[in-house]
Amino acid sequence: QEYSFRFQSSDPAGNPNFIFQQGWTETVTEMTGGKVSIELLPVGSIVDYKETPDAIAAGIIDGHITDTSYFAGRDPAFGLIANPVGAWSDPAQMIDFVENGGGKELMNELINPYGLEFIGVSTPGLEAFVSKVPLEGVADLQGVKVRSPEGLIANVFAAAGANPVNLPASEVYTSLDKGVIDAADYSVFSVNQDTGMNEIAKHPVYPGFHSLPLVEVSMNKAKWDALPAEIQDQLKASVKAFQQTQVTTLKERDLEAVGKAEAEGITIHNWSDEERAKFRAIAQEQWAGVAEGSPMAQKVYDTLTAYLKDKGLLQ
Amino acid sequence: MSRPQTPEAQHELAAELPTHETRETPIPEAGLLGRWIDRLGHLFAVGIVAAALFLLMEVFLRYALNAPTIWAHETATFLCGLAFLYGGLFCVSRDRHIRVVMLYDALPARGRKALDLFISLASMIASGFFAYAAWLMLTKAVWSPAGDLRLERSGSAWNPPLPAYLKIFLFVLMLVMCAQFAVILARQLRKPGKDS
Amino acid sequence: MHALFDLAALGIGPATLLMFGLMVVLLLTGMPLAFVTLLVALVFALGFFGPMSITVITSRIYTFVNSFVFVSVPMFVLMAAMLDRSGVARDLFDALKLIGGRIRGGVAVQTIFVSVILAAMSGIIGGEIVLLGLIALPQMLRQGYDRNLAIGVVCAGGSLGAMIPPSIVLIMYGLTANVSIGDLFTASFLPGLLLASLYVGYVLIRSYFSEGVAPPPTKEKIPAAEKLRLLKGLILPLLVVTFVLGSIYAGIASVTEASAVGVAGVALSAMVRGEFSWRFLRDSAMQTLSTCGMIVWIGIGATALVGVYNLMGGINFVAGLITGVSDNPIVIVLLMMAILFVLGAFLDWVGIALLTMPIFVPIVKSLGLDPIWFGVLFCMNMQMSFLSPPFGPAAFYLKSVAPPEISLGDIFRALLPFIGLQAFALAMMLCFPQIAVY
Ligand code: NA
Ligand code: NA
Repeated sequence: QEYSFRFQSSDPAGNPNFIFQQGWTETVTEMTGGKVSIELLPVGSIVDYKETPDAIAAGIIDGHITDTSYFAGRDPAFGLIANPVGAWSDPAQMIDFVENGGGKELMNELINPYGLEFIGVSTPGLEAFVSKVPLEGVADLQGVKVRSPEGLIANVFAAAGANPVNLPASEVYTSLDKGVIDAADYSVFSVNQDTGMNEIAKHPVYPGFHSLPLVEVSMNKAKWDALPAEIQDQLKASVKAFQQTQVTTLKERDLEAVGKAEAEGITIHNWSDEERAKFRAIAQEQWAGVAEGSPMAQKVYDTLTAYLKDKGLLQ
Repeated sequence: MSRPQTPEAQHELAAELPTHETRETPIPEAGLLGRWIDRLGHLFAVGIVAAALFLLMEVFLRYALNAPTIWAHETATFLCGLAFLYGGLFCVSRDRHIRVVMLYDALPARGRKALDLFISLASMIASGFFAYAAWLMLTKAVWSPAGDLRLERSGSAWNPPLPAYLKIFLFVLMLVMCAQFAVILARQLRKPGKDS
Repeated sequence: MHALFDLAALGIGPATLLMFGLMVVLLLTGMPLAFVTLLVALVFALGFFGPMSITVITSRIYTFVNSFVFVSVPMFVLMAAMLDRSGVARDLFDALKLIGGRIRGGVAVQTIFVSVILAAMSGIIGGEIVLLGLIALPQMLRQGYDRNLAIGVVCAGGSLGAMIPPSIVLIMYGLTANVSIGDLFTASFLPGLLLASLYVGYVLIRSYFSEGVAPPPTKEKIPAAEKLRLLKGLILPLLVVTFVLGSIYAGIASVTEASAVGVAGVALSAMVRGEFSWRFLRDSAMQTLSTCGMIVWIGIGATALVGVYNLMGGINFVAGLITGVSDNPIVIVLLMMAILFVLGAFLDWVGIALLTMPIFVPIVKSLGLDPIWFGVLFCMNMQMSFLSPPFGPAAFYLKSVAPPEISLGDIFRALLPFIGLQAFALAMMLCFPQIAVY
């Protein structure tokens, strides 16, 4: 029997992340010997990126590849698990937490009731911080107007002394260019470089200290349950392959873009371990606040902190 | 509309002159419901002005005091969202929606009446379907999958339950729109050979 | 999901034709436009997928009205409604006549200048057309301009907002194609001015060579005192423009926020002139509610239709149209332009962008063509789609505020020469890419 599914991405069509995701659909066809074919649609094709879970549950689309933090408004647990600001300094740490540290069980506990099944995790990597002003540490964040999207991140910036400004992605470029804001939580270094962000904000912080998003690949639970176990395993393996390609290739591209940026006279700032630790400490205080938001958020908090302590990443 | 020529006279009359908008009223077919929809419009118009004030306040607080709020943009978006949705209903009651009337105007009264009935009926059925779909959406925004009351929030630093409110509003609006088309349809049926 | 009646059996090609056909037929019944597109979306959602899929429509409606960038639309409309009720606009146009009245068509040319300034103030079209339609159109008609010329100037000028930065069309293209938004802004600026100057040239030629198109130039000497009194009409509008542009370019306000600065500026102007009252504000706000209801619901219908069409497999259909047609880059680009033009007749730009960009951008990149240049071409096409019948948003926006005796047919007829000018500019861009990417 053959299966064909339609997934919607949270990335626009020409974005490198989308292109990796398209690569994943090819991997799926290969790994399943042509039994499964997936059509991937760019962000907003059928419904908005924040509305995909409902569309999947209703059977309108079959799955999505998306940043889990977009669903923080449904349950704060989504925000905490997707982007515990300051927790990770490398994609491998986050991926290990999801795959071996209880993360994927939490994800399923979170999304199963919504009619979704978690297949696997990926990430574009550690985002770079876009800034017009030189930032060498937490103290420099004082009074800086920073665009931050939904989720925990805005609270952390506020606690660190910055002034978070809530702006949609479409207004970031002009607002940054004209100086309405001084800095922005945007994307990974290579994407920031391609879209011209570094050209107008010449003091990026790379590697970033603020965000490493969890990108979930998940699909309609009933349709997943109807798949033979063999195909389920192949799908999981295909996401693992996609994750490896995305993480390594984007890291290479980031480094390449860093070289290009430096040649253009852009000053790249790298925070010292001490400053990163300071920011992480501020962030951790915010996690506890989010945990109080819902029982699931508390459960995410407990599992996460236990994992971090176990790995020696948290005292 | 003819206006006085001298600026002085114009000043005097600017306050007195009934503009085309204030003269406009719901169409008779909209009935009592239409008149209520029209009256309630003031509330949503105030929302638009309030949105402008919030945005101005945000600009001032951020630029002059370096103290941006976490709520001004979301509030302004919400108020405008309400006004956008309500504006559509408001225009139904006033029959202000834009239409292509080339063929319609060329038809005799009976043909126009048939089209009127078709338009009202089709729009009523469509609004009914949309109310049903909005209800499906509402249930997900208002109750958690486990069935407890849990309003969907925006997920921002402010994290207000505005998404749930807007989804509830969309459902109510589609219901009222369906009712408004039903009222219009009923009155059109009762009124034989109407001239438009 | 089970469809109520099986439209899916038709296949996407015939279904596309049926969809556009149904749209035209329903339009001709006199059904309100917003409900035409909503009804077509509903019929196809039910026919292809069944009742559960209607949530795509309501979900898109929710997303559409819940968008921060659209907040600038009611702000521009509120500005327009207040200007319409105050003497500011009339005094402004009397002053403009004093300056430009010595050449034929001078005030229409100045209106194009005003629309370029408005374009620099806003990222999305809609608000400016309403503003020009309420302010400039009646003033040009009052001064004796040909109705068609005045309508064309307002709609074509008002659509410049997409070409002159800031522009949401270009930002959306930049995010989709992963190219520099700054480069796109730089590249589109000259073509935007080129379009504006084509409009100016057309206005001047028509005014000088056709009888009765523009009022005759003023010959009589105006006394200096009277001149001074008339020129005063420029002060308040200039201050408002300075506030708004200043707040954007000095980094005080974001583009959307700047539209609220404009509202404050116009309200203050009315206060200075002693025209402001609660009733003034209430009437303006009520008109804004009604006008936004009209124009936003047209967008609501369009976004619903696009969601359903994408679900039906619209993207694959468009992709199928160009794959394997030719290896010649010129032929492919021309074909893309043709597809954009046809889609532009029926869909609004967001829908066209969602449908075509995922297909076109990778092809353009793989052909070795400059994606920035293609972005400007795309934007030019969207300019045309704003004006082209039967689904021409610019015409609808103008209709929402134009005097009732001006029909949609009149507006579309008046727009034809301007669509021709846009096509000419597009052809220039195709032949001379240097205009954009120098
Ligand atoms: Na613009
Ligand atoms: Na069009």
